[in-house]
Amino acid sequence: MFDILFIGLSLSSILLLVALGLAVTYGAMGIINMAHGEMVMIGAYVAVLSNIWLGANLLLAIPLAFLVTAALGYGLERLVVRRLYGRLLDTLLATWGIAILLQQAIRLEFGLTFFGIHIEGLGSGLQNVPVPQFLQGTLGLFGLQLNSYRVFIVLVTLALAGLTWFTLYRTPLGMKVRAIIRNPQMASACGIDVKATNAITFALGSGLAGVAGVLMAGFRSVSPDMGATMVVDGFMVVVTGGVGSLLGTVAAAGILGEINALVAIFFNEIAGRASVLLVVILVILLRPAGLFSFKGR
Amino acid sequence: MTSLLTNYRIWAYLVFFAILLALPLTGDDFWLNRVAKYLCFGMLGAAIALTWGYAGVLNLGQGLFFGLGAYAMAMSLKLASYTSLQQGSDQPVPDFMLWNAQPGASTDLCCITPGSWLWIPFQSQWFGVAMAIIAPVIVATLLGKLIFGQRISGVFVSIITLALVLLARLLLVDAQPVTNGFNGLTDLGYFNLFGTELDPYAVTTYYVITIALIVVLTLARLLVATRAGTVLQATRDSQTRALYLGYDVPAYQTFFFAVSAAISGLAGMLYVVVAEFASPSFLDLTFSVTMVVWAAVGGRGSILGACIGAILINVLEARASETEALVEAWKAIVGLVFVLVVIWLPQGLGGFAHDMMRRLTGRRRPEALKQEVRQ
Repeated sequence: MFDILFIGLSLSSILLLVALGLAVTYGAMGIINMAHGEMVMIGAYVAVLSNIWLGANLLLAIPLAFLVTAALGYGLERLVVRRLYGRLLDTLLATWGIAILLQQAIRLEFGLTFFGIHIEGLGSGLQNVPVPQFLQGTLGLFGLQLNSYRVFIVLVTLALAGLTWFTLYRTPLGMKVRAIIRNPQMASACGIDVKATNAITFALGSGLAGVAGVLMAGFRSVSPDMGATMVVDGFMVVVTGGVGSLLGTVAAAGILGEINALVAIFFNEIAGRASVLLVVILVILLRPAGLFSFKGR
Repeated sequence: MTSLLTNYRIWAYLVFFAILLALPLTGDDFWLNRVAKYLCFGMLGAAIALTWGYAGVLNLGQGLFFGLGAYAMAMSLKLASYTSLQQGSDQPVPDFMLWNAQPGASTDLCCITPGSWLWIPFQSQWFGVAMAIIAPVIVATLLGKLIFGQRISGVFVSIITLALVLLARLLLVDAQPVTNGFNGLTDLGYFNLFGTELDPYAVTTYYVITIALIVVLTLARLLVATRAGTVLQATRDSQTRALYLGYDVPAYQTFFFAVSAAISGLAGMLYVVVAEFASPSFLDLTFSVTMVVWAAVGGRGSILGACIGAILINVLEARASETEALVEAWKAIVGLVFVLVVIWLPQGLGGFAHDMMRRLTGRRRPEALKQEVRQ
């Protein structure tokens, strides 16, 4: 039984990894960032490239990916997202366009393919990143044999969730962000620079996606279209949990991941995935504000 | 009468219809077949404009209705195919069912594979045609009653429809013995329209689809001009106000949602007639979002604009994919154009054309229309 729960836990932690960044951008800024999955993908490619060109292992790629995707996110906010505040569905569409652009940028190696130049690690093929020696194999815990890398992912996810919580609830920046979540106009009237805060928030959310990408590169192959399905899962987690509620996002990731694992083991893989989709639909129908949500003011 | 002649909107429709009807004069059957496919996509664009532009409901699962229509038609055409008639049974039996059948199972449509009895009524083509419209309408009505009855709006509708189309795709692929799963339905027969076989490359087929599109566009345009259409737009601009004015908002929303589903089902049905296959890719998330892209570029607030947007993008894409180097770059171009359109032309090409015409005819754009961009 515990091994099933552990599989569920590792599924949950992957969902949470993707959803954390979205919880920040969607919850705080009202931006539906469909390019979030592509940020995950780019994080994964940072791991691939740093492995090939720098010989760096996964652990080193984590801060690198965070910087690259955070910078990219910052630029994106400045260039595109900034113009679309208050137009929720339009942000969804514009970021979808950006998602396609980012995918094609990797696939075409930033357009260099046209000049016959090939960069190793890019292109449309599948890439793989080796997992460091000490994360391979299994780990004995409470009499169970657990996959070390999965344990590592769960731990890193917990650490990131803790860090996000700390940033949001124990720092001056977090206080500003929470004020903007509750009421942007009022926050602005109180002297908070909403634009600057939003740009940093978006960068942070994207950075989290980049870290998620590095961790994913460790257990699945990396390809330009890996992000597309992830963003959907991430959104379902955030919406199920309740927009603007970090606790809700964590809880929803936990619940959906466990449901997926339990149903998948007792029935089959497809039933597991289907039950997750069903639960999401039911939650939105019955509690449109999500499982854990505060009253907006 | 003078107002009719000076009304550029009516002229836009008429010119568009005339171009479509005149297109077979080019005599290129291969392109005619392609354009016929894109006309089906044009219907999808109009369906999206109806719900998104006029009702403010962004359906990210329109592919579900398209897919239902496509599969209903494909099931009928599969049974009409010669590959189904040669399986040693007096009834037609789809070839993939024989490959999936348990050893010793009777080669009869009733019980060859679990669930194959669902196919029995589809031996009549008109049953397939009816189901292609009825099934999407039933699903949309039930869904609309649930969603709009709960006063769910905005992004939440998008997420529900998105989850639903993904769920449907999973089930469709999983039901391999009935739907041929991932491979979809191929090797279809021709549709028999009162004794005329609709060869996908024949001019007759093109005209059937063109006339269907003209009827759909005209009806949809007339529908939004009715009182119900006005109430719907009022709902889009302020749901609460429309509710307090005493309108049964969920009923209006559900009705238009169902109409949009019917159009999508029809589009799916006709697409199968010309494309000769139905596959689970119709229910891919990417396809559903792509439809929204067409409508957004063409103009979400204009039924004709969204329809032309869909056709134009597809024609350009087909042209671009003839050059090998452009295939991948084309996607990037679409992505870029899309970002630019959303930022600078939120009402798409249709809205842009409206603005230009207003400026030319000296009429000012009403204030309310400017506001609607900001939801």
